[in-house]
Amino acid sequence: MSRLLFVILALALSTIVEARGDAATGQKKAAQVCAACHGPDGNKPSAPDQPILAGQYYDYLVRALGDYKNGRRNNAIMKGFAGQLSKQDIEDLAAWFSSQEKTSLHDQR
Amino acid sequence: MKRLLFLLIGAALAASAVAQDKKPAKKAAAPQAEKAADKAPEKLAAASPEIPTENFHAQCIGCHGIPGYKTAFPEVYHVPKIAGQQPGYIIAALKAYKSGERSHPSMRGIAASLNEGQMKALAEYYGAPAK
Repeated sequence: MSRLLFVILALALSTIVEARGDAATGQKKAAQVCAACHGPDGNKPSAPDQPILAGQYYDYLVRALGDYKNGRRNNAIMKGFAGQLSKQDIEDLAAWFSSQEKTSLHDQR
Repeated sequence: MKRLLFLLIGAALAASAVAQDKKPAKKAAAPQAEKAADKAPEKLAAASPEIPTENFHAQCIGCHGIPGYKTAFPEVYHVPKIAGQQPGYIIAALKAYKSGERSHPSMRGIAASLNEGQMKALAEYYGAPAK
């Protein structure tokens, strides 16, 4: 009995940790909102001071969009875009961009 | 009483005269100061023996150079990948931290210590394609 409880608990915890957005939904949203400046897969920023998003960490992207939305990160352009996104949108977009394997981003130095 | 009033007016006039004298001097000095500030960072980044540019990114490695490294409690998330990022964005991010527009405590502290030339050196190092 206690073993079953343990398994259930472990499963519940794993879903909390794994709770992520849906990349396919994020792809559609990205095409509407992000692609013009960051490229459809986050790999082709339209200006030198805009970041590459492809391959960036999921939780950092969620954090960045949340910070833009709530004004903690104060950027007029990104506030406008992030402000119209729901929490689910943000997670879906982060799932899409973070799942891109073709990217120049890495963390080896 | 009259004498006190006279003294006060005199002092006020003297103060305004001093202030007027200072204004033109400030204007003349400002452009030179700006020019000096423009030149200094490049010198620092390129030639200063105290700050070797090839190891200047050492201060970043502890967080950004460890694959999968995360920030500390209470808000835990992956430290972003900056290697391979656009140099222009790295500079923009560092400036935003320095000005307070972005508020991460560690990054504010680090960016505040950097001048423009040093930011540029870091951006070029991290923005370069992987070797």
